[in-house]
Order: sequence, then C-alpha cells, then structure tokens
Amino acid sequence: MNSIHLSARQIAQKVRAGELSALDVLEDHLRQIQTVDGAPGSLRHERLNPAEEDKVHAFIEVTAQRARRQAEQVQALVQRGEDPGSLAGVPVSVKDIFCVEGTTTTAASRILYNFRPPYTATAVERLEKAGALIIGKVNLDEFTYGSSSESSAFQPHPNNPWNTQRVTGGSSGGSAASVAAREVSLSLGTDTGGSIRQPAAFCGVVGLKPTYGRTSRYGLIAFGSSLDCPGPLARDAADAALMLQVLAGMDPKDSTSALAPVPDYLAALQEGVRGMRIGLSRDYDHITYPDTLTGEMSIQAIQPEMNSAVRDAAEVLARLGAEIVEDVPMPNARHGIPAYFVISRVEAASNLHRFDGVKYGYRTGTSVRGLSELYRATRAEGFGLQPKLRILMGMYVSAAQHSAQYYQKALRVRSMIRSDFEQAFDPRGAYQLDALLTPTTPTTAFLRKAVLGDSVLMQYSDQMTVAGNHAGIPAVSIPAGLDPLGLPIGVQFFGMDFREDLILRAAHAYEQATQNAEWRGVTPQALRGSEVSA
Amino acid sequence: MKPDSITPEIFARLVSLAALELTPEESEYLRTELNHQLAAVQELSEIQLAEGVQPSLHGLECQGSAPRPDAWIPFPNPTEILKQAPDSEGGYFRVPDFSRGEVSE
Amino acid sequence: MKNYEIVIGLETHIQLNTASKIFCACKADSWGAEPNTNICPVCSGLPGVLPVLNAEAVQKGALLAAAMHAEINPVSYFDRKNYFYPDLPKGYQITQFDEPIGKGGYMDLQMPDGSSRRVRIHKLHLEEDAGKTKIEQGERLVDFNRCGVPLIEMVTEPDLRSGEEAAQYLTQLRQLLRWIGVSEADMERGHLRCDANVSIREAGSENLNTKTEIKNVNSIDAVRQAIMEEAKRQIEAVEAGRRIQSYTLDWDADTGTLRKMRSKESEADYRYIREPDLLPVRLSAEEITRVLESLPELPLARRARFIRDYQLSGYDADILTSERGLSDYYEESVRLSGGAAKVVSNWMMNDLSRLMNDTGKSAAQLRLRPADLAEIIRMVEGGKINPATGKSLLGKVEAGGGKPAEIVEREGLGLIADEEALSSQIAAVLAESAAEVESFRAGKESLLGWFVGQVMRRTGGKADPKRTRELLLEQLKR
Repeated sequence: MNSIHLSARQIAQKVRAGELSALDVLEDHLRQIQTVDGAPGSLRHERLNPAEEDKVHAFIEVTAQRARRQAEQVQALVQRGEDPGSLAGVPVSVKDIFCVEGTTTTAASRILYNFRPPYTATAVERLEKAGALIIGKVNLDEFTYGSSSESSAFQPHPNNPWNTQRVTGGSSGGSAASVAAREVSLSLGTDTGGSIRQPAAFCGVVGLKPTYGRTSRYGLIAFGSSLDCPGPLARDAADAALMLQVLAGMDPKDSTSALAPVPDYLAALQEGVRGMRIGLSRDYDHITYPDTLTGEMSIQAIQPEMNSAVRDAAEVLARLGAEIVEDVPMPNARHGIPAYFVISRVEAASNLHRFDGVKYGYRTGTSVRGLSELYRATRAEGFGLQPKLRILMGMYVSAAQHSAQYYQKALRVRSMIRSDFEQAFDPRGAYQLDALLTPTTPTTAFLRKAVLGDSVLMQYSDQMTVAGNHAGIPAVSIPAGLDPLGLPIGVQFFGMDFREDLILRAAHAYEQATQNAEWRGVTPQALRGSEVSA
Repeated sequence: MKPDSITPEIFARLVSLAALELTPEESEYLRTELNHQLAAVQELSEIQLAEGVQPSLHGLECQGSAPRPDAWIPFPNPTEILKQAPDSEGGYFRVPDFSRGEVSE
Repeated sequence: MKNYEIVIGLETHIQLNTASKIFCACKADSWGAEPNTNICPVCSGLPGVLPVLNAEAVQKGALLAAAMHAEINPVSYFDRKNYFYPDLPKGYQITQFDEPIGKGGYMDLQMPDGSSRRVRIHKLHLEEDAGKTKIEQGERLVDFNRCGVPLIEMVTEPDLRSGEEAAQYLTQLRQLLRWIGVSEADMERGHLRCDANVSIREAGSENLNTKTEIKNVNSIDAVRQAIMEEAKRQIEAVEAGRRIQSYTLDWDADTGTLRKMRSKESEADYRYIREPDLLPVRLSAEEITRVLESLPELPLARRARFIRDYQLSGYDADILTSERGLSDYYEESVRLSGGAAKVVSNWMMNDLSRLMNDTGKSAAQLRLRPADLAEIIRMVEGGKINPATGKSLLGKVEAGGGKPAEIVEREGLGLIADEEALSSQIAAVLAESAAEVESFRAGKESLLGWFVGQVMRRTGGKADPKRTRELLLEQLKR
C-alpha cells in the first residue's frame, strides 16, 4: 500500500504501532515527488521545459538526507519502545520562508540565494521534535509577496495540480501544491493576508490560519510582523488539527506569542456542530473593487459557484444541527484590502531594510564607488519587482507627511474591522456566533500570467481572507466542491480568538457529512497520468 | 482623471530613500502600480471614524510573555554568523566606505 | 559688543550595567572582546529573528527616571527608527519615540561658587545601541558586539548656560548613575556618551535660535572645551553678520577644534512605527511604588544631611558623598565610633584616602572595614596609641588582616604612658643633653619639642607625647 494515500493521522498511528516504517513512508513520498514534481525552482531561469508543463514544481530543495536521518531516528525510537512523537514518520514540506539550520533558506529571493541560517524556526523545531520528516523547502512568492506564487525568483514556480496551466495561489503555493499532489501529507505555510487559505482553496486542500500569536513566528522571515501567522496545510481538517497541536503554544523567543492554553484539537473535532451558531454575511458575497484611476469603489460579483458553495455548506451544517444565522453585518470588510495595502507594506518595507549585502546573502558583483552604491546595486539586483513595489509603497505611506493620512488611519480602520467580528461573536450580542461562513476567494484558480502584472487585482484575491489577519482571529479554508472547469472551490470559517477548535469542528463535521460527494472522488490532473494505486 | 499622486520626481526620491535603483522600464511599471494602489487606498480617507477609535496594533489584545530575566547566555556559534558575510576580514564584516558626496556619518 | 547668552541642551546616552543585552541574551558589556564574538542571530539582524525585552533594563530605566524626579510612564512603547547604516544590522533601531519610559524631571547642579542651578529633563527613553565601525583604507570594518546593548537616552531642556555647567551636569550625572547602580558611567569606555546642542542669543532674550550639535566628545573636559569653542565661534559669526546654520560638528580632541560633519537641514525621515514584535512596556502601580521605594538616599540629599547633622563643610561633604561605597563606609564608621563625625572625616579624607590610592581599591573593596577604622580612631583618641601608630595600623590591617587591637597587643605598639618607664627614658635623655638642658633653663623653652623628640627616638615613637611633655617639664623646671 502506498502511504501517499494515507492521512497524516494514519501514517503516524501505523508508524507508532510499528506497522509501517518511516523509511518506507519516506520512499513512497520521494517517489511521488520524482513522478509529479519535475525540476525544482532555481535561480537559473532556464526556459520552461515543455515536457514539464504538467508538473507541479512545488519544491525548491528536497532534503532527502535530512528526512532519511529523521526517519531512522523515528524507527530507532519505535524499536526501543520509546515515544517517537505524535507526527512520527509524517512527511512535511516547509515553505522556504522558515529558517531551517542545515538548509538554504531563500525566501524565494535572489537576495538570500545562499543564506544558511545558523538556527531553526521554532515551528519547524516542534515538528521535528514530534517525529515529522522534513521532506524539503517548497516554493512561494518572493518574500511571500503575492497571491499566485508566480513572483518567485526560483523558477519554474509551482503549478496548480488540478490544472497545471493555472496558478496554485499564494504565497504558500508550494505548500498547497505539495499537499494536493500527495508529495507530502502536511505543509507548514504562513498567512499574512490569506497566504495559507487562498492557495488551499485554489488547490483543494485544507488551510488554517491560527489566531495571531498562537504559533511562534521565531524563525519566520517577516513580511507583516503584526499579521504573519505560521499554520498548517493538510488534506483534511483532522490532519490540520494534528499539526496545529504540535505547533501551538507560547514561545519565549517570540514576545507576541500567546499564553492562552492549548486545547486538545483532535478531541474537539468529535463534538459535532449541533447547536453551533454559524453566521452568513451579505458583505462576503461580493467584492468592493476600486477604479484604479479614480479610486471609486464599486460592487463586483464574485464567481457564482462561490456563493452557492457557501449556501450548500450552510445547508449541510443545518442538517447536522447547526443554527445558521443569516445577514450578519460585516460593514468594514470592504476596507480590508485598502487597509492591508498600507499596513502590510509599511511593515514589509521596514522588515526588508536589513537586506543590504553587508551581513549575509547576495552582494552586488559590480564594482561600486561607495557604500551607498553597494546598498542600491545589491537591493536592485537582489530583489524582484514585488519586494520593490512593497518597499516603495511602504515608504510612501509611512513618510512623515503622509503617515497620519494613510498609516495611522489604516491602523484605526483595522480596529473597525476587528470590531465587526467582536460584535458578531459577542456572546451577549445580537448574533452570538461560533463561526462565520464565507467564500474563501472571489474566483477559482486563475490562469498563469493572467493577473501577475496587475498588483491591485492580484491583491484583491485576498479580499475575503484578509479581514482575519487584521482582526487577528483564526480562520480555516476547506474544499467545498469543484467549479464547472473542475477547479477547486474553497469555503472559509472565521472563528474568535483561540477558538481554532470550533472552526475545525465545523470543518470536520462538513467533511464527514460530504465524504461521499462525487467531487471528492476526482483526481487532480497532475496525478492522473501517473496514478499510483492505493 | 486625477493627476498621479506619485509623480516621477516623488518616485525618484522614494527610490533613493529605499536604497534602490531601477531601470526606466521598472520605474514606469512600478510607478504606475503605486499610483493604482494609492487610488485603491484613497477610500480610507473617506471613512468616518467614530470618536475614540484607537489604532489596532495586532488585531487582538496581545497578551504575550513577560520580559525575560536578565541572564547572559552566549550563542553557541557566533562564527557561523560571520561566515555568512559576503566579505569579511580579521573577524569584521567588511564593506566599502561611503564615497565623497554620499551621505556620511 | 552685545551681551550674549549661551543656550545648551545635552543629550546623554547611558549604557546600563545589566548582564545581558536589551533584546537578546548576549553579554551587555563586551569591552575588549574580539570583534563579532559577542553576537547572536537577534542582535546581528539575521532574517526571521525577534527581540525579547530584558526585564532588568526596564527596572534600571525606571529607577533612573525616579532618581531624576521624572514621571515614570506606566505604559511606554517601543518604536522602529528606520535608516540604513552598516553598524545598524536590522536597518532600524528599536527605540522609544513618542511614549518613553520617563518624562520630565530635573537635576539640581551644585556650582563651585555654592549656588544651585536646576536643569530640567525633557524625557528619558530605552533604546538599543548600534555596533562599531572602524575605517581603514577606504573600507569600513564592522563589529556587532555592541549591537543591542541597553541604553537610556536622556535629553535635557536647553537650560544650561556654560561649558562649566555642562561639565557639572555630567559630573553629577556620572556620580548618580554609579550611586544608584544603573551604569558604570565610565566615559572612556563609552558607558556615558554626550552630544551637546549649542546656540546663542542676546542676553535677556527668550528666543531659541538655530543650534548646532556637537558629537564625539569623550570626556567631561572635552565637553566643557568644545561648548566654549562653539559658543565663541557662533558669537564671532553673528557679530560678523553671518547666519548660524544647523550643522553637526565633530570634536577633535587632539587639536581642540570642531569640524563640520553634515548639514542637519536635510533631516532624515525615520518613518517611526510602533515595533510590532514587542508588546507595550507596562509598569503596574505596585511596581512603580516598589521602584520609588527602592531609591536610596541620593547624593545631594545625603550631602545636605551630612552638612546639617555632622557639621561637615561643603567641601568635605562633597568628597564624602562622591561615591556611594565611600559614603556608606563613612556613615558606618561614624556610627561605630560613637558619632565622631569630624574626626572620622579627617581620617577618611587623608589617611584612608591615601591607603585607597596606594592599593587601588575602593572603600567597599578594602579589607579594613568601618569597624576597624572606628577601633583605630578610638585607640588614638583614647591615648592608647599615638597618631603615627594609628596611621600605620591602617596599612597593617589592610595588608595582613586581623583586628587593630590585637595587632597593637601583639606588636607592642601601645603608647608608653607608665610614669616609671617614661621617667627612666627622660632621665637618660636629660643626662646626655646637658647643653640643651642649660639652654632650656636659661629661657629657650622652645627646646621642649626637641626633648620630646629625643624621648620618642629612644622609645621607637611609643612614648605618650602628652605624658612625656608633662614629665619633662617637671624634670626641666626643677
């Protein structure tokens, strides 16, 4: 039996019981990578090999040796009768934005092309300590800036396993693709405006953004320090819960990490949705889109399948005993992207200041007359367009003469976005929600190159997800069907602070109730030619 | 049509402040995108805020760990850090000095 | 020529004497260490790392604010000051911009002429230090050892009026920092750094004119000198009809001259933002109370008390409150000597001070404790030993330990006051000095001292001088 068809829970359980060897699990998954992934992303922009058009290209670096050492360790522990960890033998990919000692950590950027961090991110440490096999570093938008993973300096960028002409979404595109393509069971991604949930939706997998501070940011190369959340991608809610259990908890190396106690997420899944109050909001059935010349905002419809998927999901949950609460007002949702444009860029510009060619990474090879020129040439050559765009925007809106109008204002608008959720979830308020159900994205996966040049359009792919980052609350995207083109549709549950247990419960209940749905039996395109039997 | 908020002059100054340098093509593309983004952001200024709305720094009220106790714990391998330097000498990170005309200390 | 007033504000950077840096666990003081050996991913600005605040830095900051009579902010915030510089690895400095840990406050300067001048404090805030650069042959060599060292930046209002006042401020500040134990405040090792903002105006005016900033003054003398040079330059310029421009000036200690560094007209925009990786610094009412209660009696208050209660002169009080260890030593010695404030003061300012110089030790480091000093003083005052013996005992105790009384006993250092013993010595002296005896009896009474000296010589200095005099007189006047 090929373990690529097992869930992470099943792998861990069998490995712990001695029924399955971690080394065999590793080989199964390395073979799958060999079969479906094609060339890893690299800096040498070779012409895209037409023979690899149907490949996934999720990885930048496969760390087979490291994974083998870990598998051996797991087996040794099992043999000695010692606890090998709750993720024993489970193959995991890591978004190449996490520093992992012994690997190159590139952030998908030339400016870190050779950076070998002398330390490992807490999130990755915890996974390794739990017995997971780190299979490799997966590709992403450069510095996580983007919603399609196309902007990586390491090409080819990942393709959507459901249709390799289309994008994976981003920035955790490699994470979502590697899970969807069964190259790994789980992936560690990050979500700043929707970067876990949107690619999860595009690739038909589960993606969870935890509460801000629930998972440690130590070792995560920062984009928006007040928005970034490391989180799991998996093929079902229970696997996501299993991974979250390992990641969650206070880290003394991260001052913003939360002291809130960590519940038993797996146990919580079993409690069902009877009596859960799940809200729907008209403010999430469309997007408010700006005219890029005049700034005038107008309502635009989203792909109709998105709204019907939400309605269908609500009906399923209602049949399971949940109470559906209609028309929950979320009036500040429309301000999510504008506020994000400001806040995330200000933080990004500041976070990118340290990349200057002095201490690590890329330094320009051209001869320079002085230090200022060294800075400029290094950053010009080392950064792609997306980092440059974010730096310039960030500097403009935080400049002394503009800060009040843009940055300070956006921070206050952020409070308003937060208060929408506080009111909706207030246990003594008018709605008393346990979860809010919305579409994850306005559209399914778009075609490669279709959106990349338009930075505003690209950002609006996150309009449904970004409010969760502003508010700091947890949110999970789960597959809820396929559109007429056979592309995955995602729906999203928002929850209140540290109530990942509730949204995972709703996700799990929906999954269980729809496990025989026809669309769940469809194999992604990239896996069809080489269908490995279970 | 509104005039661009970010004119080529303002753009050039931003590029300099950001310690970047761009080709003319990059400049035009980025300047266009910046102005589009600013247009998208304009609606923020139209939002009326109620009295006393405070800036939110993390969304939720972050209640993280207390400051750490004052103890010296040396990092086990500082040489690994210096090893990452593109250029070093005698234990120092090495860079060219500012040239005449560049901003100096 | 018009009458000009010099207007000076001082900005000091104070290195706190914590064990570790402000945002990581590297050592706070790495003076003399090889470059880039006292670094970690956090203080060298590696990607992905996060700052974690040192609780002790906050405590020391709050204590200094209290000692400067400033208001301790119960909630203060860290901000990022963004700019590019090779000794700033993150490309931003974590500092406190608009909500610092301390606001307001003052220091009263004791001027040499006895007057007191109050200098107001604008604010004090916590921040991290940058690294060090040395320039060699057109290249910059950067060392991050000092990155992240905890600093307090303290800014005065422009209340100072002369280089002398500035020097006095720094002297008292240095004393205070050591007194309350927040910094070693050694200017040569960079624990205390000072920038001076200088402007001039016509005497009687309330305006603040364009100021220049003097940097790189590494000693109190240099501060005094540099300020006076700059004031002189500005006055000359104004008298010649030129405008003062707001330059930053570098002080060259070797030549005693000021050099223009850069024009402050193009002030950098640091785009301050709240540091998202750190939480607000919160001090509860209880914690603030505890800080205030833990403040020791401060130097000026103690000085005033010494003058009042011990009737010391201002000069003596200055010396005996110059350093906390010395001051505590003094008070303890006074207490143990039964209140002999003036006597103890004399001993400490003369002989003990010499001992400290000779051994290179501070009062707290001496083996000779206040109890020992008190004992020695008691023996001298009580006539048990003579002053010379007493002085030598200081050295003996310091070198070899032991109690003074025991040493006296053991080495037979006690004064000879026994009449019989003395009389025999006196008789011997008189016998061999017939000529002098005759001179004395003939009226040269000043020779008494000479006779005493002779007895001293014969007794190895141990004759009780008073008794010897008395007995000599008896004998001579016969």
